[in-house]
This record gives sequence, structure tokens and C-alpha cells, in this order.
Amino acid sequence: MVGMSVLRVAAGFAARLNPFKQGFSNGRLLTRTIPKTESAAVRYGSHGKQMFVFKPSDYYDRRFLHLLRYYILLTGIPVAAIITYINVFIGEAELAEIPENYVPEHWEYYKHPITRWIARNLYDPPEKNYEKMMALIEIESEKAEMRRTQMDVRKLMREKGDGPWYHYETMDKSLIDYSPKSTPDN
Amino acid sequence: MPDGFDKDVYPEPPRRTPAVEKQTGLPNPADILIKLFQYTVDVPVTTFRDWVEHQHERNRFYYYQQKFRRVPDLTECKLGDHLCNYEAEMQWRRDHKVDQEIVKVIKERLGACQQREGNSYLQNCDKEMNQFRQVSKAYQSRYGDLGAYGSAQKCLMKQKHRMIAERKEATAAED
Repeated sequence: MVGMSVLRVAAGFAARLNPFKQGFSNGRLLTRTIPKTESAAVRYGSHGKQMFVFKPSDYYDRRFLHLLRYYILLTGIPVAAIITYINVFIGEAELAEIPENYVPEHWEYYKHPITRWIARNLYDPPEKNYEKMMALIEIESEKAEMRRTQMDVRKLMREKGDGPWYHYETMDKSLIDYSPKSTPDN
Repeated sequence: MPDGFDKDVYPEPPRRTPAVEKQTGLPNPADILIKLFQYTVDVPVTTFRDWVEHQHERNRFYYYQQKFRRVPDLTECKLGDHLCNYEAEMQWRRDHKVDQEIVKVIKERLGACQQREGNSYLQNCDKEMNQFRQVSKAYQSRYGDLGAYGSAQKCLMKQKHRMIAERKEATAAED
């Protein structure tokens, strides 16, 4: 009795595992009561899990995002590492009173070490910019003054005629040949 | 706030924590949460910060406030002296920046007062309010509608017109 039930269960398992093998169709007596519902894949058109998913190509999107991350992080990670190192190990400056008889350099007026480095190595000191601007203004104001005086001098010399300008050279009067008009009968 | 602030200008509000009268034997969940926060967040962050400060201590360097000498004003410059004009203009711009920062500081004080007093700020913040009103009125009358291209000369002309208007008012009041 027990052996019969074990045989039936074994035959049922065998039928489930290999439903198309002909050897078990002979044992239909044993396998008739066991249904073979989950041996073939059943596909629903509506609510089942999708077996073959149609979607548009995401190759280009994924490639773009990959390249974006790559090129951003290529310089982003070294820059972030350097800035973290500077902020942790070098640190920012502290505010202090100017010591007696000490003139600070122009980069010592900034707090962050990177700003100080840029001010020291890349930029000109602001005093230099100031002096350059003042030099330009001086040159331009001297030019304007020269032009103004030249204009005044020119006006006065033309008007009065007693200065060195506006002298027009005339010929030597002894070279004039008066012979055509010297006698009334020519 | 960071360490070096004036205790008179930003006074600490009086503490209002009530005396604890415990009526149960159960532990206070607020205490448990505070301790939890302290050990998981506060202690690691504080030790990291202390380590970073220790790294900073090894090579300290300082920055200073730049002090500029006073140069002759626009009123003390001769007419065609462009260099004097330039120096006066630069000095006016520096003073303009300083005045902007002054207004910001007064505004921050008013905000701190409002934060301190809570819902009764309208009646308790009188001093700061008056100070702010005065300072902003002064700023408005000096630098007020100069525009984006404001310069020392335009400011001087504005002052001149203000003085003319005051004089006219004074003579009209006399009559």
C-alpha cells in the first residue's frame, strides 16, 4: 500500500520532469490524476510577466552618461582631492593685527591659501595696477594739456602775427626784374 | 556663532529650561535620543574637527586688514588735476564699500535681536531698530540714488543739491 503511493508520486514526478518522453505515456494509469499545468510556459497578452520586453535602444543614452561621468571625473577627482588636501592639511589663515614696523606683502591680505597663491604668483599687486592707471592718466592729461596749449598758441600767433609761427618765406627783393614795367612804352 | 563676537552687542538670551520634576521611573526618551545623537554624530565629527585643527596648528599663517592712507578729497583737488581726481575716486569707492558693510552689520544685529526675542521682537528691539533706521537713512541720503555708475563726483553733486535744498528750506522757513 505504501509502496503503491510512493510509486505513484515517483511516476508523477517523472511525468512532470519529462512530459514529452514517450516512455511515460504507457504509465497513464499512474499519471492520469496529476495535472501538467506548469510544465510549459504560458504567456498572457495582458497581465503576466513580460518575457520579451520591447523598448527603444538605450545604448546612446547610456554611452552619453558614461562619457559625461568620465570626462567630468577625469579632472574633477584630482581637483577635489587637491582642494581637500589643502583645506585639511594647510588650512586657512587667521586674522591678526599688523605687527609693528612690518609692511605685509600684498598676498598676506587674503584668507584662503589658494587665493594667496594666486595673488602671489599669478596676479600683479594691486599697488602696481593703481600706479599703472595713474601713469596712464598722467600721460593722457599731459597730452591733453600739450594739445590745448598748442591750440591756443596757434590761434594767437595767427591772430597777432608777432610770433615765430606763420612766417611765410618770400623771395629776395633784389632778384625782382622790374625791366618789363620800367619804361611806359613796353 | 564663531568665537570672537561682542557679548554686549549679541547678548545671550536668558535660559528658559524648566526644573525637571520626574514622576515616572521610566527613562526620558528625549535623553536617550540626545545621547544617541551625541555618540553617533557629535563625537566622531568633533574628533575629526579637532584632528583637522591639529593639522592646521602645525603651520600657522596670518592675514591682515589692509589700512589705506587718507588722500585729499574731491573737494580739495584742483580743477585739471586728474591724478588727484583718481585718488579721490578710489578713496570714495573704498569708503562706499565700508559703508555698505556697516549697513550689513547693523542689519545683522537687528536680525539677531529678532531671533533672540522671538515673538516679542516688536517691542523689545527698539534700540537696534532705531539704529538701523538712522544708519539706513544716512546711507540713503548719501549714496542713495546714484545708480550703477555712481562716482565721487556724482555723490558730491548730490550733496551740493541737498545743501541747496536745505538752504532754500531754511530761508523759506524764516519768511
